[in-house]
Amino acid sequence: MAPLMPQAPHKDDLNETWMFLENGINNVMVKLEEGVDMKNYMALYTAVHNFCTSHKAVSGHALQSQRGGSSKSPSAPDAPHKTTQNQLTGNPAHLLGEELYKKLGEYLSRHLEWVYNESTGHTEEALLSFYIREWQRYTTAAKYINHLFRYLNRHWVKREIDEGKKNVYDVYTQHLVKWKEDFFLKVHEKVMGAVLKLVEKQRNGETIEQSQIKSIVDSFVSLGLDETDPTKSTLEIYRYYFQRPFLDATRVYYEDESRQFVADNSVVEYMKKAEIRLEEEKARVGLYLNNDISKDLTNTCLDVLVTAHSELLRDEFQPLLDNERQDDLARMYRLLSRIKEGLDPLRTKFEAHVRKAGLSAVEKVAAEGDSFEPKMYVDALLSVHTRYHSLVKEAFNGESEFVRSLDNACREFVNRNKICKSGSTKTPELLAKYTDSLLKKGSKAAEESELEEMLVQIMTAFKYIEDKDVFQKFYSKMLAKRLVHVSSVSDDAETSMISKLKEACGFEYTNKLQRMFQDIQISKDLNKNYEAWLPTTLLDEEERKKIVDSHFQILGTGFWPLSAPSTSFLAPPEIVKTSEKFEQFYYGKHSGRKLTWLWQLCKGEIKANYIKSTKVPYTFQVSTYQMGILLLFNESDTLTYSDLQKATSLSPEILDPNLSILLKAKVLTISPEGTKPKPGSTFSLNYNFKNKKIKVNLNIQIKSEQKVETDDTHKTIEEDRKLLLQSAIVRIMKSRKKMKHVQLVQEVIHQVKSRFPPQVPDIKKNIEALMEKDYIERLDGDEIAYIA
Amino acid sequence: MAEKTLIMESNDGKKIEVPIDVASRSILIKNMIDDLPEGAFEEAIPISNVSENVLTKVIEWCTHHRSDPPSSGDDDDTRRKTTDIDEWDQKFMQVDQEMLFEIILAANYLDIKPLLDIGCKTVANMIKGKSPEEIRKTFNIQNDFTPEEEDQIRRENEWAEDR
Repeated sequence: MAPLMPQAPHKDDLNETWMFLENGINNVMVKLEEGVDMKNYMALYTAVHNFCTSHKAVSGHALQSQRGGSSKSPSAPDAPHKTTQNQLTGNPAHLLGEELYKKLGEYLSRHLEWVYNESTGHTEEALLSFYIREWQRYTTAAKYINHLFRYLNRHWVKREIDEGKKNVYDVYTQHLVKWKEDFFLKVHEKVMGAVLKLVEKQRNGETIEQSQIKSIVDSFVSLGLDETDPTKSTLEIYRYYFQRPFLDATRVYYEDESRQFVADNSVVEYMKKAEIRLEEEKARVGLYLNNDISKDLTNTCLDVLVTAHSELLRDEFQPLLDNERQDDLARMYRLLSRIKEGLDPLRTKFEAHVRKAGLSAVEKVAAEGDSFEPKMYVDALLSVHTRYHSLVKEAFNGESEFVRSLDNACREFVNRNKICKSGSTKTPELLAKYTDSLLKKGSKAAEESELEEMLVQIMTAFKYIEDKDVFQKFYSKMLAKRLVHVSSVSDDAETSMISKLKEACGFEYTNKLQRMFQDIQISKDLNKNYEAWLPTTLLDEEERKKIVDSHFQILGTGFWPLSAPSTSFLAPPEIVKTSEKFEQFYYGKHSGRKLTWLWQLCKGEIKANYIKSTKVPYTFQVSTYQMGILLLFNESDTLTYSDLQKATSLSPEILDPNLSILLKAKVLTISPEGTKPKPGSTFSLNYNFKNKKIKVNLNIQIKSEQKVETDDTHKTIEEDRKLLLQSAIVRIMKSRKKMKHVQLVQEVIHQVKSRFPPQVPDIKKNIEALMEKDYIERLDGDEIAYIA
Repeated sequence: MAEKTLIMESNDGKKIEVPIDVASRSILIKNMIDDLPEGAFEEAIPISNVSENVLTKVIEWCTHHRSDPPSSGDDDDTRRKTTDIDEWDQKFMQVDQEMLFEIILAANYLDIKPLLDIGCKTVANMIKGKSPEEIRKTFNIQNDFTPEEEDQIRRENEWAEDR
């Protein structure tokens, strides 16, 4: 056997075996580069095996093989149970190996003592190089030695660990533990000092050997052993000995740097610097640090670079807003969004700023006096919204809290500004008028897509309006006019707007608008039927002549914001036959319905055959009232005021302005000349009438009429609000039966506020009103009850 | 294609050429191949604790199991708990007792865990269902307990008796 196993020790002899092993592992530890001879490898492994399986410590009771007394009886734990002695005494089966484990530990301590002594000769980067070199050599050797001592790991170490012994590890781990205890703990401060110096150099812009730090990090991480489970590692060592000092140094470094930088530079410059630094530190983690530090490092940097200077940054917010420095605002947002509650003060400032911008835009419009176009006002509102909406999107990442601040500000200046000083109903009125101007024929928005875009904008403004019922009122009035006068720019645009409103406010809000729209569609079919029906009822040619070309619209009373004429009117005989025919047709179809002629909305065209100055006779576009007046002149060229009044039966409030229009257009002349129409005036047909156009529109709305209409609308709003409040109160009380007064008021506000912002005194007033009507009654303790 | 091989030498001087993947069933050999440079294996590897006939037998087992997946620790445990032995392995283990123990020792030395397990299971199966007297007979063991000691053991282990 001698040639196969050079210097093989006697297996029973601990000292001899250890001498042999120590020589071998020392070669692995310090002369690995010379290579390990295969036969030596086998001899070392075998020596460990043989020692552990030797009989020295196991006296007597070993299981005997057939050969009896053979030194090779199995004594491994997997072999059948060895001795009954153990069962009797309660001792576990004894395994050999403890001595080898101890000796190995002592050897490692000696080696590390040497390493430590060597290390004292190095500082700074040289120390790092030394540490890394020795670490790599040591861990490589540990891997070999672990393999050579595998038999020890498999049996003695395994048994010790299974039995819960502390401080026994597999041989590789034992190496790490020894390194930590006998070397690392003595040098970590010096090593970290060198690491931190290197990092500082890099932060100062120098190039450094990053891989050195990476190696140190890896070594520190490797030393983190979980005492309770040796197969797992923890980051405890790394966190305590690396991360902690690293973060401390980072804090100090950036505290100094930022203090200095802020003193010498503008805030804008500082924000750029801070952003770059944050990026650098983030990159640093990826370059050579363990990911575990990422969160703490970022927090430390944010703390020092942002939180510590947050007041300074916030003070800069207003100037940046004033100068519309979008990029810098975005940068400030990014920085402050990363610290706790960093943005709250900005939101408050932003809201105030937007409100101010909105108010001043409105003031500019108001400076024009009362003559401004609704478009100017709406544009002013929208331009402020658009500007800051885009700022929120671009600079503040569209963050919902900033959107909310923007909305709050817009709601404020849309509803409460100089123009609606008298009341918040002014904005919805103007917005509705602007919408009307877009949807009426002859609007400037030629392109359909452009029009749609503008309607979307209107909805943006609409969203902020508190008195949505006011908008509804005005809008329905104007829609009614567009429909009756067939002056809508397009059905599609009307439908689009109605569906937008429906989307924003629900079915109820647009119900009447839709019904109006439907009435017009139904009327179209009705007219076709009428035209088909008409010839079948006409008796002769004579009767046919008395029928004029006509178009009728049937408007449901409840849905249209229209009322019966304010004056009596005797329709001219020329159209009476026609209207009677239609009535006959309609009542035949729908018995039990009642038709009311809205003469004030009717219009027609008459030809002025009496004027000979043109080849083609002039056509006058006139209201029915004007028609009634003018047709009288077929009988006589001159008529007195009382003639006209008697024949038409119009009240002076209607008759006078219409005469004025005809006079102004020089269709009629008055005598005495230059006076206003009044009882006693005489009117004559002007045969010398001249106009550039063949078609002359005399159906102009009267100024005073417009004003009255607006006032009326406001009045009906008050009335409608009362009804809305009362119906809400009844609805709530009907479902709750009993309720505290305060709660009822709250509930009413909640239900009604999507239409308009109700005033508490108004609600109380209406509660009183309902009590008088015996809908509800007051109980004790401020409670209110529903009377069924 | 020439298979990569290395040479193992038994303690009675016999050299056997073995494909590397077969030899690598031994964790000792496998680790050594990983640790040492390729040139280190031109010489025969001295397997100093194993004789030729046992080594041949071990290599036969390794050859049959050369492509077994390396077993993970967990199913190792469950497999070890049963005494079921695969048919081929049962036949393989039909050897005299001396050879059986030699194989167990060699598997332990060479660090071939599955083979060690099979060997121990075979021994366990030899013990299963036998009375102490029969076991002593099977393994040629002398009874060195005093009657008092035997009594005590019996009392202590009463709970384990089949009833």
